[in-house]
Amino acid sequence: MLTYVIRRILILIPMLLTISFLVYTALELTPGDAVSALINPEVASRLSDAQFAELREAYGLNKPFIVRYGIWLSNVMQGNFGHSLAGGVPISTIFLDRLPATLELSLVALLFSTVLGCILGTYSALKRGSITDSSLTVVGMIGVSIPEFFFGLVALLIFALNLGWLPVGGRLLPGYETIWDRVPHIIMPAMVLSLMMTAGVMRYARSSMLDALTREFITTARSKGLPEWRINLLHGFRVALTPVIVLIGFRLPLLIGGSVIIEQVFQWPGIGNEFIGAVRGSDYPLVMMIALFSVFAVLMASLIIDVLTALIDPRVRLS
Amino acid sequence: MSSRSLNKKFDKILAREEAGELSSNSGSRALKKLLNNRLALVGLILFSIIIFTAVFAPLFTSADPMKINLRNLSQPPSADHWFGTDKTGRDVFARVLYGGRVSILVGLGSGIIAAIIGVLVGAYTGYKGGWLDVIALRVSELFMSFPQIILVLLLVSIIGQSLINLMIIFVLTGWGGMYRMARARMLSLREEEYVQALQSFGLSTATICYKHILPNALGPIMVNITLSTAAFILAEAGLSFLGLGVPASIPTWGNILNVAQEIRVLQNFWWMWLPVGATISLFVLSVNFIGDGLRDATDPSQQG
Repeated sequence: MLTYVIRRILILIPMLLTISFLVYTALELTPGDAVSALINPEVASRLSDAQFAELREAYGLNKPFIVRYGIWLSNVMQGNFGHSLAGGVPISTIFLDRLPATLELSLVALLFSTVLGCILGTYSALKRGSITDSSLTVVGMIGVSIPEFFFGLVALLIFALNLGWLPVGGRLLPGYETIWDRVPHIIMPAMVLSLMMTAGVMRYARSSMLDALTREFITTARSKGLPEWRINLLHGFRVALTPVIVLIGFRLPLLIGGSVIIEQVFQWPGIGNEFIGAVRGSDYPLVMMIALFSVFAVLMASLIIDVLTALIDPRVRLS
Repeated sequence: MSSRSLNKKFDKILAREEAGELSSNSGSRALKKLLNNRLALVGLILFSIIIFTAVFAPLFTSADPMKINLRNLSQPPSADHWFGTDKTGRDVFARVLYGGRVSILVGLGSGIIAAIIGVLVGAYTGYKGGWLDVIALRVSELFMSFPQIILVLLLVSIIGQSLINLMIIFVLTGWGGMYRMARARMLSLREEEYVQALQSFGLSTATICYKHILPNALGPIMVNITLSTAAFILAEAGLSFLGLGVPASIPTWGNILNVAQEIRVLQNFWWMWLPVGATISLFVLSVNFIGDGLRDATDPSQQG
């Protein structure tokens, strides 16, 4: 098992290196001085030309490209991501500020969509061919066809503007800190995000369950005279769950991406909101670092999925 | 006998057998199945209506989608303006029709180009194998390790906003899925006996791979095109909604929706954004219905 994990990590490294190299190349090619990306622009504006040249030397910016990349990479690995062009805030500070909000929203959405998707998908599979099944399928397709931000806008109009039940946006009002103050803010973005994701999980859970129900152990269980609900839930669903777990793992990075527009609609102060702001303002260092971070998250998620599947299914780690 | 005449002869037999009889038979069967699928039929009708009204927009509205009319600001729907007018007095119905042209062009165009590139690369490298295959696979992995929207926005920030750039970006971020599918199909199809027979006749790699194997993968390719078209139309809408897609001067579905970022518009002027949003949803839904029907009609393993 350990060798398998090590092997998987070793495969990841060249990938990460290539992408970080591309990101660094893009950083060098985009407008803006490399020094200003490294140090606080507030400070930079007060520097004389001679000091600037000194700094270039000190940061190794006169060295060959590949050496500069090495310096940058070791900085990044030590958590020094450089500075945002807007306001000169260290990018690591922005990450620390914004990531919790995105994770909070994503995890709630992930949890909710998984539970709802599994229940609906399993139910659909058990009632295969019934009216409920086909209408759930159609509802699922409608779900993936509506632009998520449009769905968000409609929800905003109904529940916040017309009914006034929920706040229009944001995460926390200043001065309100308890968990009960947070809940109303997260309900709408999380619901919109998870309803959009439920359709995919449902579809997957349905076909996975249908597949599991045709296996021989189901027939065995039935011939032992077990009650139908036991067969379905304890035997069928358990087996059907494995591919669903894989799907959920693949959704983890999608959540960072998927919440970008929803965060914007609901003014949720997460990393996606920050990313859009950075793209709009051509804040290249910030854009690149968020992109690099999201790739890192994707690759880590795929590593975790592989390890999990290997734990569940011994055939995987032997191949 | 030269290999060319043999080649020709063999092709003729193959053409008669496969394209002439078998494939036209299965083609019509697939079509029949597609038409029997009620949802796919609904999808086809909806799809045709929206495409028709967008392409022949001047037949349905005499209004100019770009003409600003300052005496007619933010009017609710009326007989003159079916979807009302926007904040600068432009006819929203006309904008939805003309905007559809651009949005559908971006979605369908990028979907088809991405499919062509993905299939050409995937089929060839998958069939050929070797270092070419390894490189293509690594490059596609590189693209696919980004969350799609992040990569799209990253590229937007690097190469800038324009209609053509947006299509280039969609193709760049979208070819990977198609490539992987075409490659996977190729890996299994190249072991078939008829491929060995073709090889023994001395046919060139490109001929075998594009002319003889590729048609067998047409079903999944079509399904994939519909899916990526749907995804690109949603992506265009999302990006333009954020103001980062097609430049705001060109009406597209996303650009029309852009006004809804303003709470005042969202609350008071529903006609400026609700009909467009519904149109996008209906169009994407119709594409998804067609895609689903195509899948059922062409892939027997997916039925039930």
